[in-house]
Formats: sequence, C-alpha cells, structure tokens
Amino acid sequence: MSSALLPPFPEPGFSFENVERNVSLVKKGFKPPKFTSTGTTVAAAIFDGGIIIGTDKRASAGTIVANKNTNKIHKISNNIAFGGAGTAADCDQMEKMVRAHVELHRLNSGKQVPVCVALTKITQHLFRYQGHIQCALIVGGVDKFGYHLHHVYPHGSSSEVLFEAMGSGSLAAISHLELNYKQNMNLDEAKLLIRNAILAGVENDLASGNGIDLCIITPSGMEHLVDYEIPVAFV
Amino acid sequence: MSIESYNGGAVMAMAGKECLAVVCDKRLGARLTTIGMNHSKIYEINPYLYVCLPGLATDALTVYQRLRFRVNMYELKESRKISPQVLCSMLSNLLYEHRFGNYFIGGVVAGLDPATGKTYLYAMDCLGAITIGTEGFVTGGHCEEQLYGTCEALYRPDLGPEELLEVASQAFLSACDRDAGSGWGAFVYIVTKNKVELKSLKARMD
Amino acid sequence: MFKEMQSLANAQMTDASPHKVAGFYPYADNGGTLAAIAGDGFVVIGGDTRLTTGYQIYSREASKLTKLTDKTIIGSCGCWCDSLTFTKGLHIRLQYYLYENNKPISTNATAQLVSNMLYQKRFFPYYVSTIVAGLDADNQGAVYSYDPVGSTERHRYRAQGTAGSLIQPFLDCVLGRGNQTAPEPEKLTKEQAMIYLKDAFMSAAEREIGCGDFLQIMIVTPQGVEEERFKLRKD
Repeated sequence: MSSALLPPFPEPGFSFENVERNVSLVKKGFKPPKFTSTGTTVAAAIFDGGIIIGTDKRASAGTIVANKNTNKIHKISNNIAFGGAGTAADCDQMEKMVRAHVELHRLNSGKQVPVCVALTKITQHLFRYQGHIQCALIVGGVDKFGYHLHHVYPHGSSSEVLFEAMGSGSLAAISHLELNYKQNMNLDEAKLLIRNAILAGVENDLASGNGIDLCIITPSGMEHLVDYEIPVAFV
Repeated sequence: MSIESYNGGAVMAMAGKECLAVVCDKRLGARLTTIGMNHSKIYEINPYLYVCLPGLATDALTVYQRLRFRVNMYELKESRKISPQVLCSMLSNLLYEHRFGNYFIGGVVAGLDPATGKTYLYAMDCLGAITIGTEGFVTGGHCEEQLYGTCEALYRPDLGPEELLEVASQAFLSACDRDAGSGWGAFVYIVTKNKVELKSLKARMD
Repeated sequence: MFKEMQSLANAQMTDASPHKVAGFYPYADNGGTLAAIAGDGFVVIGGDTRLTTGYQIYSREASKLTKLTDKTIIGSCGCWCDSLTFTKGLHIRLQYYLYENNKPISTNATAQLVSNMLYQKRFFPYYVSTIVAGLDADNQGAVYSYDPVGSTERHRYRAQGTAGSLIQPFLDCVLGRGNQTAPEPEKLTKEQAMIYLKDAFMSAAEREIGCGDFLQIMIVTPQGVEEERFKLRKD
C-alpha cells in the first residue's frame, strides 16, 4: 500500500514543506521557537596514551533544565568519538548519520576507519548547510596515523588541536586547559585535567552542570565513563 | 507570543511501580480565547503505549497522522507491536526531518511493558532531541515550568496506581491552575499490567 | 515581563526617529527567587543568594532579604541596582517614620509605603519583584507581593522571581489545597512551613538554572527575627 503521496519509505533527507509557512508566521509577529540547547561545557585533550574527552550532563531550554542526564559524548566507532555542543537535536542526529557512514566505510574496506573519514563527513555536512545545523564539536580518535583531536565549528571549519574546549562553558574550561595543559601527560593527569576543566565550566556557567562524563580513547579501545563524577556540592 | 503557545495545553507522564500515568489538559485555545473544552492531547498507539503531542493543534494532528501511518507500516512489515523505544526514535526522526521548517509541537512518549511492568518515558523538543525520563516524570506544553516545579517537589518513586493517580493529578492540576493557557480539567490514563483506566478530572474552568 | 519591556523600549526608540538609534535600556536582569509563607504567629521568607547576569554568576552570597523592623522583612530581586536603591530609600523613609512618630512602623503601613514608593516611579520603574513579610497588629503572619509598579495584594503564601513560576504551583498544592477535598490536616506550624520552603527551593534549584547556591530564610515571630541558611545546588 503506497502511492506518490504516501511513499512506503519516507523521502531521505530534510523536508522543507513547512519552511514557507514558518517564515510567514515569524513575519506576522510570532516568535520563532526555542530549541533545546546542550548549553555545554565540553573539553578534550591529547595525552601520551590517546585522547580524552569530557562533558557535563545538562541540556537546557531557555533557563529551564530540560535534561539532567544528557549524553554529550557521541560514539562514532570503537576508535572515534565526538563531544557535542549546540542544538541538542543536531548533535544527536549528527552522531547517527556519521556512525552509519563510518560503519558502512568499515564494512566496505574491512579496516579500522581513520578519524579523518568521520571528520570529513562532519565538516562537509555542516558546510553544505551553511551553519544552520548548529553543532560545535570536538572530534577525537585514534587510528594507524596516530592520535587526532579536531575542533569543528557550525559552518564546517575545523583544525587539529592538542587540547580544546567548546560550548557555553568553554571560556572557563579553556582557561584551565591553557594554564595546566602540558605535553606527555599520563592518563591520571589527563583525567584530572579534563575533570577540572569541566568543573570550571560547571561552576561558572549556569547552562552547564549535573555531573561529568569522560571518554578515553586509546589504541586498545574506548572507555566511556558515564557519571565519572557528580561533585558533592552539586547533588 | 510564540506559535507553540497559540493553542495552549500541557501534558505530563509519570511512572510508578509497574504503572504509568499519562495526563493532558482539556483546553483548546486560540490565543487568549478558549474554543474547545474537551480536547485531548494524548494519542493511543496501543493500550500500553501513548504519545502526547502538546503545542500547535494543527501540527499535532498532522504529526499524529503521519506517525500513525509509519507505525502501521512498521507493524505490518515486522508483524509485531511497536515498542516504546522504536516509537520514540520514529517520532524523533519524523520531527528532525523537519529541522528547517519545524512542526510547533513537543512530544512525550510513555509506555509500559505488560510482561515485565517496566515503564518507558521519553520527552522531546520540536526538533526531536530526546530526553529519557530517568527521574520518573516527563512534561511538555505551555506550562512546562510550572509542571517541573510541582513534579520535582511532589514526585516520589515506586508509587502504586492509586497513589500515582493522586500525585500525578495534584501535580498537574496545581501547575495548570497557574497557567492561563492550560486547564479546564484533565484526562488521566492509569496504565497497569492488566488494566487501563481513563479518568476525566474536573478542575477550575477559568 | 523583562523581555517585553526591553522590546518596547527598543521599538519606541527606533520608531521615533527615521534614523537607526541604539536602544537605551537601563535595566539588567540579575535573577533571584523569593518565597514567603505566613501562619498564625509567624511568617517565614526565603530567598536564594545567587546573583546572575545571562549565564554568568556575579555572586553566590548576595542576600536578597533585608530586615526592616523586628516584625517586618523585605525581599527584593530583579535588577540588583534597583533592589539596592529601593531598599536603601525605604530604610530612610522608615527612619523618618521612627523619628517623627517615636515608634517603629507596622507591617501593614510598610506594605502600603512600599506600594506608594514603587508607584511614584510609574514611568521609570524600579525593575524589582518584591515581597514584604511580617507580623500584623494581631501577630498574624502577613505576606504582601508587588509588581514593579506597586500593584499589591496580601497573601497567605507567595513566590516571586525567576523560579517563582515553579514554586508558586507547589505552594498552591500543599498550602492552598485548591484541588483537594480532604480537610486540611492540622494548623500550619513554623517547622512545617520551613520544610515546605526548603522543598520548594530544592526543587526549583533542580530545574531553574538561575536558582541556587544558598537559601537564606528569615523567620519572624513575636520574639523577633531568626535567620537560617540552607545549602542549594551550586552548578
């Protein structure tokens, strides 16, 4: 049972059928809707054994906490993950799309997928939509070329970094990273660094909070530490 | 005024011990005018699975019909009932397809597994960003702020069906009474493993 | 309310002249939440001590409650500079009253004075949400709430400020009992009112990002004013 009006599978990609209506509603004076924003602190660094990414756990809609247990560390494959800030729906769907893309690539090639494959997919997708897909990401991973950490802005620009912070709490977090980051840290030092950077964001940025998640990617695999720490003062 | 609050209305779902309460108000408005007093925002997918679509009523109807179509096709193709998790992903993807030119509705998915009694609560914004209701309640609609206030203060885990009805109703009615866009009573579905009850609550009519 | 005022101010500025003029907007929103409960022979008033601007925290220790007399407390939040100026001006008026009449002002008279002082600034208002809590001539608890231009009403309980919309329906439920057929359990005690107040603020701090750090409570009884502090979330 299907017809041209109701295809059995929905058309792939975005539907723009409501755009004109919504633009005219805004013109008539209705306020555009507010989307759930991650309102995030996300921080990441390269240490001597791999990559570490950390995030807080709060998603907010305006001044209300929409989700106290948000997962902002998006796993792409066994060796790639990204920490996402921006519009929550965009980050979630970006994960789904890139994960499918990378998995197909792995099945086709029969090899571990390099980080640059995921990164290219993300930046090309973001550039195509000219910044309207509101994701600010830190993409990290380990592959045969080494350890990689990239930041990605909503318009699709990216660059490779040693450490980075993103989101509304990034100012607090990056100041901690700038002060305390050093090369060739061991895992425990890296964990403490990222934990403290996220904590700085959680304390100083109202839109960040509710705990800390960590993700550690090493050549031997990925470790996702959900609720790594919920500081006593925040319970 | 945002178009999402044009028709008003609020929804809430609360989980108890092997039971579930799904609540919506009865008001349908056109800005400040009330034009309907018996308007449910809860749509039954099956007796153990409900989806609530608060927001712009015209979009809610459209989205429900499109969701119903996809659910029916899924159930025909797979020869099994849709699960709460799949329904949630389905609604989320439907909403995100309209990322540019979005529908002006939120979404609440509430389900109960009749075999185990496990409850499933999900909420999403108008773009389909999913919140899993791990705290035991999810809310949506015009008086979300008020609902968060009452639910956070009144909710207790592991309530039985009768207690859950009382707590959910009190939390919902108190919140609606402080919002001009919602009210006129409420519909409450109390879902347990072997029974579904629909209660119609009377409340302030102003 | 705040945003409406802002857009109104901007609209007036831009409509008046054919040239584009940057809107003059002398107000700031520094958040804050207040709640008060009155009973027989006591009144309790609480306010959080967080002072914010946007997503930043200015202070975690900004008291929004001021003791006016041994029987009257005022709580004021919104635009912090207006709160400070208004309470300072009120203090001066109360000193005049004391010296002219040789007795401290009553709660009811204070309530009327606050309304008058706010309305005096009708066309350049103090941007403050105010609650006056105290004991009246019969030692009954009294709570008066105000909008920025002095519209006032006496209540049994009242919440105001950023998380006012979260707390008020909860107080309606446990104290107003509008949707309950069961008779009120017993007369409200001071201890029970304190529990409600703490519950309300703890719940609000969970969901409203501008509410947190500490809850400062002032308890007014015929014996005088006591103060208590209670920890809230800091993230």
